[in-house]
Amino acid sequence: MLSPYGLDIIESCLTCKMRADAIFCDLPDAALQSFEQIKYATAYPKGAILFVEGQAPRGIFVLCKGRVKLSICSTDGKTLILKIAEAGEVLGLSASVSGKPYELTAETIDPCQVNFVKREDFLRFLKEHSEACLRVAEQLSEKYNSACREIRSLGLSHSAAEKLAKLLLEWTVKNGEGAKAEPRIKLALTHEEIAQMIGTSRETVTRLFAEMKKRQIVQAKGSTLVIRNKTALKALATT
Amino acid sequence: MQPSCSHCAFRSDRPFCDMSPEATRGFDSIKEQEVLAKGTLLFAEGRPARGVYVLCEGRAKLSLCSESGKRLMLRVAGPGEILGLGATLSGDAYEVTAELLDTAQVVFVKRKDLLKFLRDNPLICMEVVRRLSDDLHGAYDRVRSIGLSRARRSRLQRPRSMAS
Repeated sequence: MLSPYGLDIIESCLTCKMRADAIFCDLPDAALQSFEQIKYATAYPKGAILFVEGQAPRGIFVLCKGRVKLSICSTDGKTLILKIAEAGEVLGLSASVSGKPYELTAETIDPCQVNFVKREDFLRFLKEHSEACLRVAEQLSEKYNSACREIRSLGLSHSAAEKLAKLLLEWTVKNGEGAKAEPRIKLALTHEEIAQMIGTSRETVTRLFAEMKKRQIVQAKGSTLVIRNKTALKALATT
Repeated sequence: MQPSCSHCAFRSDRPFCDMSPEATRGFDSIKEQEVLAKGTLLFAEGRPARGVYVLCEGRAKLSLCSESGKRLMLRVAGPGEILGLGATLSGDAYEVTAELLDTAQVVFVKRKDLLKFLRDNPLICMEVVRRLSDDLHGAYDRVRSIGLSRARRSRLQRPRSMAS
């Protein structure tokens, strides 16, 4: 069926084919059936804002399809991208559990399908299904882990070059190209967004990419980046 | 036989420790209680997670380390806190290093035992989820303070602007 955004809306979690791959979604049938009762399946266009940092928590958003940009903002308007969330992730989790304001801003970067669950319903659901509660704990742990990584890279790196090199290496691993001699990465983000991920300016990112290209460390082929010299990139990442 | 948590005077003040009598019995049977000297490393970042430590008394320093050996202090944990929770639940490596600042009494619970205990006690599982959420909030606050005040000058200026 041809839908507006090319999105194939999944109405029921019980028949969802992608369920098995996602930690949270792969629940026992009984839990899934009661989840089915409290969720609202919704679709968002690209660039929609699911929730804003500082807002009182309404509930959780389970990302079924598409990608969502998670960022935090300083009072003077500087933005830092923490993560690009992918299908299967639960967003707004810690705020909904603790009742504190959302700590991040979530903005879709693709057309997305999202399952929304109201906070009160979600808390009741967790109380009734200990298996789901454990899954939530696992998701939170992963988020905590990546927040610690972010702190490490922001707080302990010397230079923007080091942070960029680390980010590129991380992406190669994520794409399953980590073991290859010349890994390829599809650059889905703009220089501006990359700058926001590593806490530097757009100009610096552009300059660093130009330098790396000049030194034959990376090569751009359209929107794909080929890492020609992994050893040099690793050396940059550990200086 | 370990001394039971049911005799602990601080129990009622600490959300995690304040369990039902049955749950306390269950917890008593899986915990290992010990007194450790000041300066003991409870766990080091990067090591596979064996379990959690509940800090009964004393304080512990949580820090992060870069490849080049530079250290970043995250925070000081106090009595009643659970350390190593995230790594233990996800089964990854410990994400931080925890070092005791005082000679302290701690309770250690193995990963396998903890998971089973949480599955059997949904209320405690909820409390654990709440703890993790708080940890995460703290971590995001830290990301904000480190990542968004780029220049050293602005980081120094902050306390002054708060005072005025």
